[in-house]
Amino acid sequence: MKISRRNFLKGSATTLFFAGFNFPVLANTDKKKNLVVIMLRGGMDGLCAVPIIGDKNFEKRRKDLILDRTIKLDSDFALHPKLKNFHNLWKKNLGAVVHATNIPYTKRSHFDGQNLMETGGHIPYAVKTGWLGRGMKLAELKGDGLALALPMPLLLRGIPSNDNFYPSKKRLPRTELLKLLKSIYAEKSEHDLANMMEIIANRSTMSSGGTSMSRKNSSLALKAGLELKKINGPRVAVFEVDGFDTHAAQGGVNGSHSDSLIEMDSIFKSLEMGLGNEIQNTLVLTLTEFGRTIEQNGGRGTEHGYGSAIFMTGGLLKKSQVYADWPGLKRKELFEGRDLNSTIDARSVYASAMSTVFDIDFKRIQKEVFWGDKLQNLSEKLFKS
Amino acid sequence: MKNFYRKVAFGLGPNEQAPSDPLEWAKNQLNDIPEFSWKGKILPEKELRNYYRDYVYGDRKVLRKKFKNDKEGYKREKNKLRHATGQKFWWNLELCIRYSEALKSETPVLAKLWYFWGNHFAISEKDFLAQYTTGAYQREIIRANMNQNFEKMAQEATIGWSMIHHLDNEQNIGPKSQEAKWAREKGKTKGVNENHARELLELHTVSPDCGYTQEDVIQMAYIMSGWRPKWGKKRLETGDVHFNPDAHEPGTKIVLGKKYKRGRKSLSVAITDLVNHPSCRKFIAMKLCRYLITDNPTEDMMEPIIKAWEKSDGFLPEVHKAAIEVAFNYSDKYNKFQNPENWLLQMSKMADVDLIPSPSFMDLYQLGNKPIKDQRALERLMDELGQHPYLAKQPNGWSDISEDWMSPELLIRRLVYAREAYYKKSGKSQTTKFYEEMIEKNYDNPSEILQIINQYKELVHKHVILFNLPETLKS
Repeated sequence: MKISRRNFLKGSATTLFFAGFNFPVLANTDKKKNLVVIMLRGGMDGLCAVPIIGDKNFEKRRKDLILDRTIKLDSDFALHPKLKNFHNLWKKNLGAVVHATNIPYTKRSHFDGQNLMETGGHIPYAVKTGWLGRGMKLAELKGDGLALALPMPLLLRGIPSNDNFYPSKKRLPRTELLKLLKSIYAEKSEHDLANMMEIIANRSTMSSGGTSMSRKNSSLALKAGLELKKINGPRVAVFEVDGFDTHAAQGGVNGSHSDSLIEMDSIFKSLEMGLGNEIQNTLVLTLTEFGRTIEQNGGRGTEHGYGSAIFMTGGLLKKSQVYADWPGLKRKELFEGRDLNSTIDARSVYASAMSTVFDIDFKRIQKEVFWGDKLQNLSEKLFKS
Repeated sequence: MKNFYRKVAFGLGPNEQAPSDPLEWAKNQLNDIPEFSWKGKILPEKELRNYYRDYVYGDRKVLRKKFKNDKEGYKREKNKLRHATGQKFWWNLELCIRYSEALKSETPVLAKLWYFWGNHFAISEKDFLAQYTTGAYQREIIRANMNQNFEKMAQEATIGWSMIHHLDNEQNIGPKSQEAKWAREKGKTKGVNENHARELLELHTVSPDCGYTQEDVIQMAYIMSGWRPKWGKKRLETGDVHFNPDAHEPGTKIVLGKKYKRGRKSLSVAITDLVNHPSCRKFIAMKLCRYLITDNPTEDMMEPIIKAWEKSDGFLPEVHKAAIEVAFNYSDKYNKFQNPENWLLQMSKMADVDLIPSPSFMDLYQLGNKPIKDQRALERLMDELGQHPYLAKQPNGWSDISEDWMSPELLIRRLVYAREAYYKKSGKSQTTKFYEEMIEKNYDNPSEILQIINQYKELVHKHVILFNLPETLKS
């Protein structure tokens, strides 16, 4: 085992903050930058997606779940062989991973964990807005969010007028009817309704007759990419992928955990296709509530754990790298003797990403979005300014 | 004034005459809890919970082990188990029961308030509660207590199996309790889970306005420690809720300055104190006004409701009547944006949409089978509209703030499902005359509305516009 606390993220705690300025807004307003968050629900197994190479502890405890033909990323980490799109991005310096990371939540309930991954808080249900929504509010990005879901995810709460896209299986009424409704709303001073109907009417002119779009994440992502690409389009998009809670038959390369990872991978690809060159000004991050136990259970699945990994893609990444302050997998190095530890507060990554994409000083995000919690500024380390 | 029928109920249906005294019409619906108007099968919560037990046991203890190397086999057998336990059927049946109260009963005002309370003491999306027991919980614990004091509803909801399980109180173990000691001897730590205690304070009774502290939450959790389902090897977590003294935190607890002794009785004493706290009645009055009248209730609106509460000791029929009267008094000044569910029911009632499958059709369902598509129509429709009543995302239930229901996709759903609904109407209600009478009966500006919708010739277009006019979206 060669790895010993390499690729430290700790060093980057020195910040960009200039003394004497009060929360300077970094001047970089000429290009539109986009942030995409993919929520992985159910607890993504970071060690299945990005396994460590040559660790006896790992191989011993997961005999039946070890993957064949993994893709080597560096001397210490490999990639799940089905994540081909991510690997392509990686090869172009458009893909990176933060490993052994999680939100500061250790109780292993999906219910509470998913709430906290979206609010960014410490106490389940105590905060009613999402960290992304609060970050957008700080950046004054009203109306710039796009959820690829029907209800607005909690993650985006905190700023009004976000758009969402989740195609109905039914046909919209004809455009002139929508325009009539819009003019009625406007006449009756129902401005919010009028704005929404404007968006809907525009959508209906774009759609091709009665063929309704698929709700598969891969096609939603293509659509999102095309929208984000527009100079006056949304700047933030949010996806959800379910099914990571694999207590049984998690399996190897063709197991059920792989199915969900493949879905995530298809989003990376479709976003890249939709965005075209604008992938260069985009950052895509994943978010999950916790990782999974090192040890396989009696049903060849895994239980709820703690540390997981964050996938990142896009041109705002500095380079392809697995960033980790690796805690090790010996029993005493595990969290409560069973889980991969989290050595990096995942919120540090999200706060740094918002700082980079929204051009807001990290300390302001730390203070106003995350209540001044102790987070590291990783912007310099991970992202292009 | 006519929007009052839509504000506190779902408007007037084709066979209903406008009552001579609308306020009395509404108030008279609130004294008793009539039998359900659904004439098909209605299962007790306990029976549905047993189906849930069969599902979790079968999945967790049998299939996961049996199919550990066979993803496809696992999927296949799990699907069989779903149907063997009615997982895709029961919640559709519950929605039939629920919506019959709005559309077919003599007490639609009671129904609209039932939905309010079900959402106040929400069981949000967790495990498969929605598919098995949430509807029954709302029948047996919420609706059944709507002619009682608020306290009784709060007591029963708090120790209802659904609520205890939903808010993790089975994991709430006093750190100095016997169980925590046993755990320590095995090198494990067990302690308090504050979830349920926090929601009891924040969402169900006094609200943060009363100024409780984190310490109050912890102390409340100590009081609640030990309340959990009776565990069994086969029952797993689905046993009846009981008080287990081994998990209860010893010693005296202090919540909002008051002391509570250790033991079983302290929870019910604490709930009595919480529901009698002035912040509780104020909070409920605010929420009732927010649900019925406006996003931003004023003190003047809340006051009569608080007074009625004080006079009747929180007797719900009196509290409801006061709220309805306030809604009546403000009905010309305020229009409330209707959530998708209430909007759908309004449209179905006024336009005579055949929303609910018939009892005989639903009762054809046999366990072990996949329900046929039309038996699942309601569940899918509510999901499409964005507000399945048993799948609120969080314990605070579905929002009753307009802004939360305004997104392009949510409005698109109203457009497309207004159109769908039109085709579920009987032929005799697909006439211009039917619409003229309905609009006359239910809207205060019938001629203006007719002028707008008559810009279209086809009735289906008139229908879509009518149910997306501001006058309909807001009542």
